[in-house]
Amino acid sequence: MRIERRLIVSCGVAAIMSIAAIASYADETCNSPYMTGLIKGQEDFVHVWALGVPGMGDGSDKLVTIDANPASKTYGKVIHKISVGGRGEAHHMGFTDDRKYLWAGGLDDSKIYVFDVGTSPSHPKLVKTIDDLSAKTGFAGPHTFYALPGRMLIGNLSNAADKGGVTGMSVYNNKGDFIAKYDMPTSAIKQIKGDGYGYDIAVNPAKNALLTSSFTGWNNYMRDLGEVVKDTEAMKHFGNTMVMWNLKTMEPEQIFAVPGAPLEIRWALPEGQNWAITATALTSQLWLIKRDAHGTWAAKDVATIGDPAKIPLPVDISITADAKGLWVNTFMDGTTHYFDLTDPEHPRQTYSKHTGSQVNMVSQSWDGRRVYITSSLLSKWDKTGKDNEQFLRAFHWDGHELTPAFEIDFTKEQLGRPHHMKFTANPQRVASLLGASVR
Amino acid sequence: MRRVGAVAGVVLTVLSLAGIAAVASGAVDPGKATAPRMEFVPPPPGSYKLQRIQRVSDAVLLDSTGRTVRLSALTQGKITLLTFFYTYCVDPLGCPFAHTTLANLRDRVRDDRALAGRVRFVSVSLDPTHDTPAAIASYGQEFTIDPKFEWRFLTARRVPELLPVLDDFGQDVSVDMDENGRATRTLHHMLKMFLIDAHGDVREIYTLAFLQPQVMFNDIKTLALEAG
Repeated sequence: MRIERRLIVSCGVAAIMSIAAIASYADETCNSPYMTGLIKGQEDFVHVWALGVPGMGDGSDKLVTIDANPASKTYGKVIHKISVGGRGEAHHMGFTDDRKYLWAGGLDDSKIYVFDVGTSPSHPKLVKTIDDLSAKTGFAGPHTFYALPGRMLIGNLSNAADKGGVTGMSVYNNKGDFIAKYDMPTSAIKQIKGDGYGYDIAVNPAKNALLTSSFTGWNNYMRDLGEVVKDTEAMKHFGNTMVMWNLKTMEPEQIFAVPGAPLEIRWALPEGQNWAITATALTSQLWLIKRDAHGTWAAKDVATIGDPAKIPLPVDISITADAKGLWVNTFMDGTTHYFDLTDPEHPRQTYSKHTGSQVNMVSQSWDGRRVYITSSLLSKWDKTGKDNEQFLRAFHWDGHELTPAFEIDFTKEQLGRPHHMKFTANPQRVASLLGASVR
Repeated sequence: MRRVGAVAGVVLTVLSLAGIAAVASGAVDPGKATAPRMEFVPPPPGSYKLQRIQRVSDAVLLDSTGRTVRLSALTQGKITLLTFFYTYCVDPLGCPFAHTTLANLRDRVRDDRALAGRVRFVSVSLDPTHDTPAAIASYGQEFTIDPKFEWRFLTARRVPELLPVLDDFGQDVSVDMDENGRATRTLHHMLKMFLIDAHGDVREIYTLAFLQPQVMFNDIKTLALEAG
């Protein structure tokens, strides 16, 4: 994983007035590879972007902050929450390149909320709301937020015209101003036709490669899952492709046939690796996208996840920092799987555990010792009745067994449906440049 | 300053400075830093469009002779590569690396007839207190020796006059504190270079992973072709 380098410089700066929470070192293996400050040790906070539920608390989507440092007196507790004043199908989040701000999107109302998590990570503040995505681009359902230098690349799921799955990517600068839009391809490249659908974004800067995947549009993801499954026509409207883009030109160069809604994408970023991996939701397979000696990329299915006939619905993956292991959550059977990726052409499941009646996102610490799981997929797709557990569960991982660390019951605490997670850490004894008084 | 060779294709791994570990908490390991890798053939100049990322706001700074200068005068009229630095930077993949990359790029730009007189570099100090006009003049001497190429070194009168510039560019900076809460002499910032067109619009931003000289050169050529 590339780490954006911070410069260490001896300098003389006069007059410091205030200590500010600027430097944070953060975890995750799924962030933009050139974002600064990846946490290599213990994360201090887990931020959860939670969907509001009518009648539960204030019913609003909210960013919930949980103390995740075992050395803290409030370890495993909710220490902060901030509502955005509405319910827009909270879903995914992404840091800006400097890790000071967290962008969070709503799949229903297409709003984007910008939280300041750098100044005081234990108490994020909502500093901006971007509501011109559809007006500027025609797209809807902002999903993936991927940091580019000085700007945010957003992968969308739908469009404002027919609310189907044909969509594209949009780019905003870090100030929140719209810059550009790029349609997902609908024509053919080398005999493979694009379906125009979008979902995840993942960049490999050393290869000038931008890889995208495809899911479905508003018409399906905001509809009851049981109805969608029974609707033959609706089931035709899921993505079946991935696209390799030239990052510099932002032109699609290759389209891959990957049936069954390929979702999250993770690059193997250690030096010498030339592949990325994804999981298909409907066909329950792991797919490898790999470049051959001639520079051509190809996609192939390399493993099954659970029993595909039972549609376990793999929904999220988390790759280890050395790209030798992969966590996979399957929603329907509430199972967390671990695959050995030592040979990415032949992943092997080496562990699995039932971690809830429904499980969705999975995030691990950089060192792989901690694994966090949330329960909610989409407001209209979550299970009902007693199976509608809504939680964040933290586990220790010793390489053999997931051991519970703590749990937050989002229903009991009236917080809604927990979806995406991001980690932050306390600043490490730093001050703002203004007024520094140097010894 | 230590010279580092051309970046393209280079796989250079440098251990983090001891100073970084001192900054981080015990549990945090910033790990290794690596030079940017380039494992692709960059698209040719003019075959793509660079995004208009943001407009550069104006400010008043000091040049290396101590004269006040408007930033807009040095971010318009030519294609500009702007970066931030410290004269005392010792990070092998920090300011020295950035300026060596720029120096190599300057040689390529200078040798390209189509770019003659159309490109400038601007280096802005992040430490106005230490980096006086005399200090940046001394530091910049190595880079400004060629009168045919405009490479300007700037500083500010005071930190408060620099802060709006940093904010506009989204350039974060922080100062380490010791265990007693006193400021040390160590700063952090994320290495960024800004490619600005002749109209004063930022068209590309290079963080460390994107400091790929061939790509940067092609981007400059692309802006030159766009301007005609």
